[in-house]
Amino acid sequence: MTPGFRPYTGIRVLDLTHNLARYATRLFADLGAEVIRVEPPGGLPDRARDTADVPGGPETFAFHNASKQSVVLELGGNEGRAAFADLVRGAQVVFLERGGPLGANDIPWLRDLNRTATITHVSPYGLGGPMQDAPASDLTLQSAGGIAWMTGRGDEPPLRLPGGQSAMVVSVYAAVATAVCLFDAETRGRGHILDVSAQEAIAHSLQNAIQVWDLERRISHRAGEGTRDASENIYECRDGHVFLASPPTTGVSWKGLLGWMAEVGHPSLAPFSEPQWLDRKYRSKPEARAAFKPLFEAFTRNFTRQELVENALKRRIVMAPVSRVHDVLGDPQLAHRQYFVRLGEGGPRFPGAPYKMSEPVWGVSPPPALGQHDAPAARG
Amino acid sequence: MSPDFLSGIRFTDLTWAGAGPFGTKVFSDFGAEVLKIESMSRPDPVRRGGPFKDGVAGTNRSGYFASRNTGKRSISLDLKNPEGREIALRLIAQSDVVSNNFGPGAMERLGLTYDEVRAVKPDIIYLSMPMYGEDGPLSTLLGVGMTIAAVTGLMWMTGYGRGEKPLGPGTHYPDHAANPYHAAFAVLAALRYRRHTGRGMKIDLSQVESTANFVGASILEASVHDREPEHTGNRSRRDAPHNVFRCAGEDAWCAIAVESDTEWLALAATIGRQDLAARPELRKAAGRLAATEELEAAVTAWTRAHGAVEAGTILQNAGVPAARVSSARDLVEEDTQLAARGYWQTLEHPEMGPSLFTAPPFTIDGERVELRRPPLFGEHTQEVLTGLLGMSDAEIAELAERKILA
Repeated sequence: MTPGFRPYTGIRVLDLTHNLARYATRLFADLGAEVIRVEPPGGLPDRARDTADVPGGPETFAFHNASKQSVVLELGGNEGRAAFADLVRGAQVVFLERGGPLGANDIPWLRDLNRTATITHVSPYGLGGPMQDAPASDLTLQSAGGIAWMTGRGDEPPLRLPGGQSAMVVSVYAAVATAVCLFDAETRGRGHILDVSAQEAIAHSLQNAIQVWDLERRISHRAGEGTRDASENIYECRDGHVFLASPPTTGVSWKGLLGWMAEVGHPSLAPFSEPQWLDRKYRSKPEARAAFKPLFEAFTRNFTRQELVENALKRRIVMAPVSRVHDVLGDPQLAHRQYFVRLGEGGPRFPGAPYKMSEPVWGVSPPPALGQHDAPAARG
Repeated sequence: MSPDFLSGIRFTDLTWAGAGPFGTKVFSDFGAEVLKIESMSRPDPVRRGGPFKDGVAGTNRSGYFASRNTGKRSISLDLKNPEGREIALRLIAQSDVVSNNFGPGAMERLGLTYDEVRAVKPDIIYLSMPMYGEDGPLSTLLGVGMTIAAVTGLMWMTGYGRGEKPLGPGTHYPDHAANPYHAAFAVLAALRYRRHTGRGMKIDLSQVESTANFVGASILEASVHDREPEHTGNRSRRDAPHNVFRCAGEDAWCAIAVESDTEWLALAATIGRQDLAARPELRKAAGRLAATEELEAAVTAWTRAHGAVEAGTILQNAGVPAARVSSARDLVEEDTQLAARGYWQTLEHPEMGPSLFTAPPFTIDGERVELRRPPLFGEHTQEVLTGLLGMSDAEIAELAERKILA
């Protein structure tokens, strides 16, 4: 076996992503691929966008670009194009994103340079169709993909998920599809062209909403109709909030909950013992949700988050604290598993691997400065 | 296309419910042989969860199950029976990957730990994906997708902003992208690692740790600045107007997201507010952010006079990021982009009839991956036990008689 071999050792990814697909290439970089951001002299667009002028800008840049390298090439000029062509000939993957220095029109040129590379193009709506060139953003993609419709309060606007989720979703789909194509290229010598749509990726991740419409002609709605059991909600407690999920189909959890109420003699036990709370259909209705919340909150208000979690563990109830983001850094379970890593020596605590592997193959390093790896000796 | 990219790869797949099977579906859709081990002694909860064809419950009628299990082969096998376990180990000995998403301890109770499995298949790739990891003070906390959202800060940050209480995602969101796709990526990486080193590995995917990466930039911000990041709902921290606006019609909405000075001027012109375009303090993002309420009122006055699709189209044509907020019905029935790209596939199913599936969200070499229908419960038991394990019909009948294949 090769010493120090990592899953993507020997794989070069030329990375022209700048927004939606950056996390896809980072996943390869953390597992040993040589991921090279190929940047124009002023940098790819995210260098001007994710700056300290905007709260969270530098952290967004660092998170999405960690472990990568950076070279500067002017792809508009002959010299830069020739240097890029050399890189393409030695690459296994080229990652393009709409709005970057190269676009869909350049794919035939890239294919001519390298017949076996996987060329992945990520865009808001995919190539072809009436929306191919439509302007887009995280908010509009979460709306066009159907996820925003399902979140929020019924009497208020649909709501997007936080933290740029359109990029996260399309990135993991793009990374997996690219890895599958790469596997085929190494097995059979076939190169592939992938055209990944962020809208489609989001529409692919709507739980069972598409089937709810197709099979039962109901629309999963943010008010809860068709999407949630009445219990699935956030409840106030003495020092914060907890989340509960206790549909009667997970019998143990629901019985455990009622048993606990009986033990402490809580008045909510009597109404929760009514037969309608064993009826799945009733429990998926908005009125059931509305009735559930005050009854259960009357119970949780007597406890702290810690007490509720201890009981959830003991009684096998599906209930968890609703952590603020800063709380996550102090999560005892994550601490026990030594989840957080440091970004560079003395650097800040940084989210750890999304998967722990029994072989020591995952690692993360700080994002590159513009052109940090211009000299070939700086690469590899 | 019906891709053979992963042909020759075999899974003994013990995953159930949402996140696990959605991850292994990637492999069956690309030609791997995914043997889904199921038992009626503890049925897959999504076979029991809706929606059902025509609203009528049935083991083989769940659309949720169907959407997570295309192209797989179903083997009915009671793993709690020692003979069932032996059969599973014989399948595993001929597999490349063993996958499960049970809680901690379940694989120990089944006698199918990494070490036990490795004894019959030394280079096995062993994927476990419990909620909170296999060890530690909260490892036995029961969870679903929303619990994972709760403990990662994702739920806290999902709200309208304005300092209001959290609402959380409307779905078990971590089950539908972060965890299945991180898991699939890890298995693909492990397959390449094995190809080059001959070594298998264990993948311990804590669904909380996986999902924390989906809010990784926010966690890093909290870490660097030692404070809670501001969450703004549909609004942006960098520009305005940026929100979801009510349109003409019932529950009709359009998202509009100005992210540059150019887009602002285009928006102002489109909604007929040249007076706003002319105001110098609104030429830059900071000035627009300071005037958020006023600008949102101006946009609302315009959107209320237009349908959601119409508003989105007019603004897109003017160069402003905008889109109707689509429901599942809107996507299926009315979305011209998804239709033009051939996103929907209808598969024939013996009990459900023709049913609708979403294609994998990409094309390869200009073509769609053609899905194969999900299996009926136990549909391939006989075929696999005969073909792969060389069992006789009499042996199989005898096992079935004793409820080991149920």
